[in-house]
This record gives sequence, C-alpha cells and structure tokens, in this order.
Amino acid sequence: MNYHSLRDFLDVLEQNGQLVRITDPVMPEPDISAAAQAAINCGHYAPALLFEKVKGYANPLVMNVHGSWANHALMLGLPIDTTIKDQFFELDKRWPGNVIKPIWLTDAPCKEIKIKSNINLFEVLPLYRSNKYDGGCYLSKACVITRDPEEPNHFAKQNVGTYRIQVTGRDRLNIQPLVFHDIAIHFRKAEERNKPLPVAIAIGNEPIITFISSTPLEYDESEYEYAGALRGEPYQLIKAETSDLDVPSGAEVIIEGEILPRKRSIEGSYGEFTGGYSGARFQPEIKIHAVTHRANPIFENLYLGIPWTEPDYLIALNTSLSVYRQLKASMPEVAAVNAMYVHGTVEIVSTKCRMGGYGKAVAMRLLSTPHGIAYAKVIIVVDDSVDPFNINQVMWALATRVNPAKHISIIHNCPGMPLDPSSDPPGMSSKVIIDATTPVPPEQIKEDVHALEFPENTDEWMQKIKKLMGK
Amino acid sequence: MICPRCDSKNANLLITSPVGNEWEMYICNECSFTWRSTEPETIINPKMYNPKFKLTKKKISMMTVNPPIANSNE
Repeated sequence: MNYHSLRDFLDVLEQNGQLVRITDPVMPEPDISAAAQAAINCGHYAPALLFEKVKGYANPLVMNVHGSWANHALMLGLPIDTTIKDQFFELDKRWPGNVIKPIWLTDAPCKEIKIKSNINLFEVLPLYRSNKYDGGCYLSKACVITRDPEEPNHFAKQNVGTYRIQVTGRDRLNIQPLVFHDIAIHFRKAEERNKPLPVAIAIGNEPIITFISSTPLEYDESEYEYAGALRGEPYQLIKAETSDLDVPSGAEVIIEGEILPRKRSIEGSYGEFTGGYSGARFQPEIKIHAVTHRANPIFENLYLGIPWTEPDYLIALNTSLSVYRQLKASMPEVAAVNAMYVHGTVEIVSTKCRMGGYGKAVAMRLLSTPHGIAYAKVIIVVDDSVDPFNINQVMWALATRVNPAKHISIIHNCPGMPLDPSSDPPGMSSKVIIDATTPVPPEQIKEDVHALEFPENTDEWMQKIKKLMGK
Repeated sequence: MICPRCDSKNANLLITSPVGNEWEMYICNECSFTWRSTEPETIINPKMYNPKFKLTKKKISMMTVNPPIANSNE
C-alpha cells in the first residue's frame, strides 16, 4: 500500500488502533517527551501520538509515527504482527534492483500557504524542548535536501538526509553535518568557494521517504529513486520556491534557506541516539528565506531517549538492508545483517564461510561500507544457520564458537562516530571483530561440530499447541 | 535578561506564544540557548541551572568546530 502524505498514513495507523489522539491541551515541556517515551514503552504495538492542542501554538504535532514494529509493518503494508526477521526479508524482496525515476507535479498541498517575509517558525510549528538539557527546540525527523555544488544537475547526487537541526531564531537554524554525511560533502564544496548552500527541509512526510532519508545509501544513489522503487511507482516531487531543489510533494511543511559559508555558532547540547547528551559545538547556521505549508500543518517529530526510542525503529532495518546489500554484492555468502543496535554501532552478520577466516573478511568488508566506516564498532559474525535477529541464538554462537585468543580481533585507530562517548578523540575509535562462525578448512578444529536440530514435526506441533491455547 | 546556561547578559525575548497569552520564549545571543517562561526553575534560573551543563567561557573556547571550516582550495 502506498501513502501519498503523512495524513494518509495517520489514517491507516488509526484504523489499525496504532494512533492515539491526545485531545486535551498539553504543555510543550514536559508533556510531549514524557508521552512519547510512555508510548514507546508499549513495545511491539507502541502507537503514534497526535497532540491536537499544544498550549500556545496553532497547529498539531504527531510523534512516534515509526516508533514500533507494528507501525513499521504498516509502513510496508504488512500485517501489524509481522516479525522483525520477516520485515527484513520482505524489505529485501522490494529493495531495488532497478530504481524508478520520480515525476514532478506543478502544484501540491505543501504550496497552499507561502511565507516569504516576516518568517516566524513558531507560528507554523509547535516547537518544544525534547530532553531537559537540550540547548533548545529541535527538528529531529525532517528530510534535508541539498545538491552537489560541483554537479548541480546530477539528480542522483542530490541528497535527502536526516540531520539534527536546532531552531535558533524565528528564521534561523543550526545544523549538524558530520564529515561522513553526504550533506557535509555538499557543504564543503560550497564552503571552499565561499558560497552558501541552498537547502530545503521537508517536515511531515509519507513514511517511506523519511525511512529512506535515514538510510545510508551510496553517495550517487538517489533517495527519491529508491523510494520510488520501494513503493513500486514514481515518487512525486515538486520544485522548491527559491532554489532548484526537489522536495516531496506530500510534505506538510517545507522550509527553504541557505547554509551560510564560514560561519559557525553554538549548537547543542542535544540528547542523541546514543542515549546520552552530546555536547555543544560550533556548527553551521541556516538562514531561512521561505516557508510553504499545507493549511493547518501537522508537525512530525521524534523523541530520542535511551534506546529503544523511535529512531531505533526508523534506522533499524534500512541500515541493516543497505549494509546487507553492500556486503552481498561482493560476498554472496552473506545471509542477513542485523545493524539495529545504536544505529549499527553493534552489528551482527550471518554468513556461510567460503574458506577459513572468511567471517573476519566479511567483517572487514563491513568496516569499509559507507555506514560501517564510522558507525560500526563491534562486529559479530555468525553462521548462516544462526538468525542474527534472534539474540539468544547469537549468544549461543558466541558461547560455543568463539575461542577468544583466535577469534577476537581489535583494530586500532579507525574512523569512529564522534557522538559515541567512547570515541577518542571524537571521530576516531578502535573496532572489534568477533568471529563466531564455525571454523572451516584450512582452519583446524579439534572436534567436529555437530549442531543439534529441531526434532522432526516441531513446526506441526507448534501449530497444534497454538490451537490448543486458543491462539 | 541573563542566560540561564552561560550567564551572558546578551539575551532577549524571542517570541510570545502565537496563540493566547500562554508563555514567552527567550534566547541567548551568545550560546543560542532558548528557554520558555513555563519551564522549571532548574532550567530558567541561572543560579539553579545544572552546573554540568553550564557553559563557561573556558568551555566555549574549547568547543570543537564541526565541520572544520573549508577554505579555498584554489
């Protein structure tokens, strides 16, 4: 099922009991974050929350749209009880072999209202402090669009990404482009020329572009073409008002502006995906030139807390799938990747082993993928017979396949994730590879490993027992 | 107006609530900190703001610049 706007998806969430309307007025702080954390605590069936009235503001706010496996399944048009592993392999079926080119509309609801002077974001968005010691109000779930200044007509190098953005004025933002992010490449090229970088920020989108926006694609892969392929139809775009940028036509709000060259000001601190605050830094400023939006726009945002919260769902299987595909392209034995822990800081790969030491080779390949180069720190490799999404099975493999002296390798002085509090200096880290695969020749093992198997007819008995339990 | 986080006096009213007379929001022009009049004293009172998160001149002078400023490559 395809959704053309956030509102389409909210309707489906509501029909499935996965959206809760908060009709009583709420205070921006601390109600919004407290309610979002409470919703997440509901586990597999955590609902989205639509705050209809936020005190002092005109427009509604929705949180936790992607924040449960049930909502994630509905995004993919699957039954709400679909398991994580089944969602991974369903996504794998749809992950593009061929991308689909987008189409451009000439009008869309996101152009209903156009503001080009006296811009005041607070009149459009019900902004709030997310965690107690955040430096201010944040946009935490927007699709940020920029083009490569050296190749402005290269459509696929136009980037759609999700970055942390602090609101630091009525018409001013500060953004965090980390050096390994595609937007940082665009910004560096503009800044070298001392030119501002045009930027568009789309808020409140149908769920797939937000999902793809937070997927670590290759630099010259188009998020819009991927989104089209996942949906099985061309993605619908519309031109921005003040630049040549292409924006999702279904958005609730589009903010347009420029990232200013050679100017930094204090941004942060901010409660990050690591489950801790990352300190304040000097980061680039965005000057806003225009805002367009639907009538009564819905502000979509997410709450970041100690994992798991919404971003952990949003970046779980897309990160896993893209790393899986990048590994499988040159190592076809790879069976699945689970990169769900703290944005892939810990990753589990299951693979067949072509030769002795192959598990370690797979891990080293992972460490050179666009995502793995900075984010991945702990890589566990298991046999293809082990389900990497089943932590009990992974622990079993660690317990019974790892001889620490042989199978654990530490690699020093690698790129790291600067927001990881253990990164030292920030942006560098060591890596650990734990090879928990069963040794194959020429590696020698002292005893043959004969894993137990499920008794025959176990599946049949599972069905019988479920029936007897009335499930 | 004193910034609760960095104690700068260079702070001012940013906005009043767009609907009703519910709150005001203030901004520090030195450290970009924003705060709402309805937040607890531990956020809006400079003397009660958590010392671990206070920004001193020394802390600010040691902050990293991200990304590093790219100068001309010509």
